[in-house]
Amino acid sequence: MADDMHEDDDRMQGLDKKKKGRGHRDTTDWADRYGGARFKELDPSAKPGPTASVEGWVVFVTGINEEAQEEDIHEAFADFGEVKNIYMNLDRQTGFVKGYALVEYKAFKEAQTAINEMNGKELLNQTISVDFAFRKPQQRRR
Amino acid sequence: MADDFYLRYYVGHKGKFGHEFLEFEFNKDGRLRYANNSNYKNDEIITREAYVGQSVIEELKRIVEDSEILKEDDNNWPAPDRVGRQELEVVQGGQHISFTCTKLGSVLQVQNSKDPDGLRIFYYLVQDLKCFVFSLISAHFKIQPIQR
Repeated sequence: MADDMHEDDDRMQGLDKKKKGRGHRDTTDWADRYGGARFKELDPSAKPGPTASVEGWVVFVTGINEEAQEEDIHEAFADFGEVKNIYMNLDRQTGFVKGYALVEYKAFKEAQTAINEMNGKELLNQTISVDFAFRKPQQRRR
Repeated sequence: MADDFYLRYYVGHKGKFGHEFLEFEFNKDGRLRYANNSNYKNDEIITREAYVGQSVIEELKRIVEDSEILKEDDNNWPAPDRVGRQELEVVQGGQHISFTCTKLGSVLQVQNSKDPDGLRIFYYLVQDLKCFVFSLISAHFKIQPIQR
């Protein structure tokens, strides 16, 4: 079977889930769209645990105040190392901060320190959670 | 199985440049798959796979739940057609939705549809999901996903 998306039927359709939507009975065959392409991982042999990104280590921050500015995040996270990049998206309907951000460091140690120091801390009157964005699962299921 | 989770989004069309599409999925183990096929500039499909942490999955679940998309139904949405096709499949909170829709060009099209309230939720959720995935893919792989 080609390495395409869509979960196995037995996993998706079992149990007592309430189903809704035309997609369930739509039989249009789009399955050829991957042409057998494989999904490329950065490091398929990585051990379970945090994983490096191409240019560093990315931490994922949640619980961000909707009125936060990128500078607020930068200021809070620059203490642990040079912040290489911040991705903070807005809610497309309201224009307010959606509530999460990705903060990129060069070194593992910087990211780890940021997580240790900032996870569970208060930022702009809200408790934030901070963890590695990318990691390997405990076990591979293929 | 209230903690079961899966999310997949597809948008695409078949036209002058073949089958062009964007698709991504998350499973509950945190496996993120991303594919982008545009034959216009480069004829090779872009496929990437990464595993995200549990906090990323929890945030994704929150975004889906807050949108209340699971309360909607695609019965009265404009069906996929020659313009294009969107699919949103979500397993969450004991529900399994698999919605289809044509490509939506503007909010006006949403307003003028038979189900503006439901379609608006879909329209904005899809944009929020794309932003979410594009940021993850950009940060991890340093490739620039094509916004469409």
